[in-house]
Amino acid sequence: MAAETIVRALLPAKTFFEEVGEMMILTAKTLASIVRPPYPYGEELVGQFLFVLKLSWFPMTISTFALCFGAPGLQAAGILDLFGTLDRLGGFFVVTAVRFIGPIVTAAVVAGVAGTAITADLGARKIREELDALQVLGVDPIKNLVVPRFLALMVITGLLDIFAIVFGITAGMAASLLYGEPLGGFFATLFTNALIADLWGSVLMCTLFGGIIAVVCCYKGMTASGGPAGVGRAVNQAVVIAFLAVFFFLYMFTAILLASNPELQTIR
Amino acid sequence: MTGWLDVPRGWIDSLGEIARFGSRVAGLVYSGRVFQFFGESLRQAGILVLGSALIIWAFVFILGLNCGVIGAYFSRSIGAPSNAGIFSAYCDLREGIPYAFGYILSAKVGTGIVAELGAMRISDEIDALEVMGIEPVTFLAATRLLGAWIALPFLFLVGVGVAYFSSYIAVVEQVGDVSSGGYLLIFWTFQDYVDVLFSLAKGMVMATIIVLVGCYYGYTASGGPVGVGTATAKSMVVNIIMVHIVGMLGTLIFYGSNPRAPIGG
Repeated sequence: MAAETIVRALLPAKTFFEEVGEMMILTAKTLASIVRPPYPYGEELVGQFLFVLKLSWFPMTISTFALCFGAPGLQAAGILDLFGTLDRLGGFFVVTAVRFIGPIVTAAVVAGVAGTAITADLGARKIREELDALQVLGVDPIKNLVVPRFLALMVITGLLDIFAIVFGITAGMAASLLYGEPLGGFFATLFTNALIADLWGSVLMCTLFGGIIAVVCCYKGMTASGGPAGVGRAVNQAVVIAFLAVFFFLYMFTAILLASNPELQTIR
Repeated sequence: MTGWLDVPRGWIDSLGEIARFGSRVAGLVYSGRVFQFFGESLRQAGILVLGSALIIWAFVFILGLNCGVIGAYFSRSIGAPSNAGIFSAYCDLREGIPYAFGYILSAKVGTGIVAELGAMRISDEIDALEVMGIEPVTFLAATRLLGAWIALPFLFLVGVGVAYFSSYIAVVEQVGDVSSGGYLLIFWTFQDYVDVLFSLAKGMVMATIIVLVGCYYGYTASGGPVGVGTATAKSMVVNIIMVHIVGMLGTLIFYGSNPRAPIGG
């Protein structure tokens, strides 16, 4: 009786570790398939790339502008205005828009918009037993379905991050103008404080986010089960796991980047 | 005639449909007609607490860690490491927690509602409810909205505490430039109960929109299993955009004219 209770209490933990392990195995298989010839995934890669771009660009621009205008823009401008140093807003935007908000908004939009679409697509194929049919035909689902999505999401998340930074800084300009401050000071502190390490850190982080999102969403889609309700449930779980994984990775990456690059810790 | 105007027109059309559906559901809650199914509302609130609470708090915990780390290094860079509390007070309470709450609600609760109601719709269970004489919008959508209004404020307020705790860990224990007392003094100086109410208002507006959008896309799902998946993905697009717009408007309204900072006169 007691043993049964313990087993039942630990069941969520067991499921969790099993799923994490299976996602790791999927990642390893995907990485192996990327380098091992043949390379049949070129067309699908371009298709997925354009698909993700088409879905994500509009939510991404609006979301980054809104988040950067509200959170670092108005809040920080309010405080800096009290000190009379509104030109420092540009330097503050390097810390927030480049290091923090650009990546999280890109990841949230790609996971929420493209990741859900990928899970829904693969889940529907799994439910209609198309994936099994592909395997019978001798087509490897990992090589032909997961690899192009993995590569496409990695590339596009990194590239969208640059657009997120651009729109975030536009929002900072808007906040600066709202307080009646000319933009010269904003750009002066922005460009003095922006280092190339910030930019590569941000883009590299987003590229890895894309990989995480692709693996989680493909895994959940390819293991969907239980009819129509199962696809919806798979999408739900995929986006929750992707959000948690991405934010935890962001924390680890930021802590390591900032602690190991002391030149990012001085203000100029 | 098809032109480039069709895409924005489609967007505005679906926003209008969502607004109409949402005001109908909210009307059912306000007029009290939902109380004939009060038990179901409580059940939905219970599902929210049991199914989503831990995930919401885990997400908010990670957000607090992020705010703490970035705030600690930022305040070190301006040569005032003891003022890390200002950054984490602002980043946690005023901005971060509502956004994190909105993200994780749209991921967990919003898509969950779409999946559940969409599966009911395409297996004709909603039509069956209507045949049985139960009004489906009241029974399925309005009860979920009332359940969310019952449960989510408490989950939000506990989440605020969770994020404070994790920011404390990140600033004081991990980076360690400031003592515990010094951090907490600044941290508590730069917030008051009005900020908590503003933050709660933002979070609850986001939650209401997310539940209504989820109910709309689930209730109108069509096209088999693929349709449910597509509806789930679509609801996520709308939710992400709405969460950010509500956050921005909230900041603009609550803090736009008055930064509410204890600095100067």
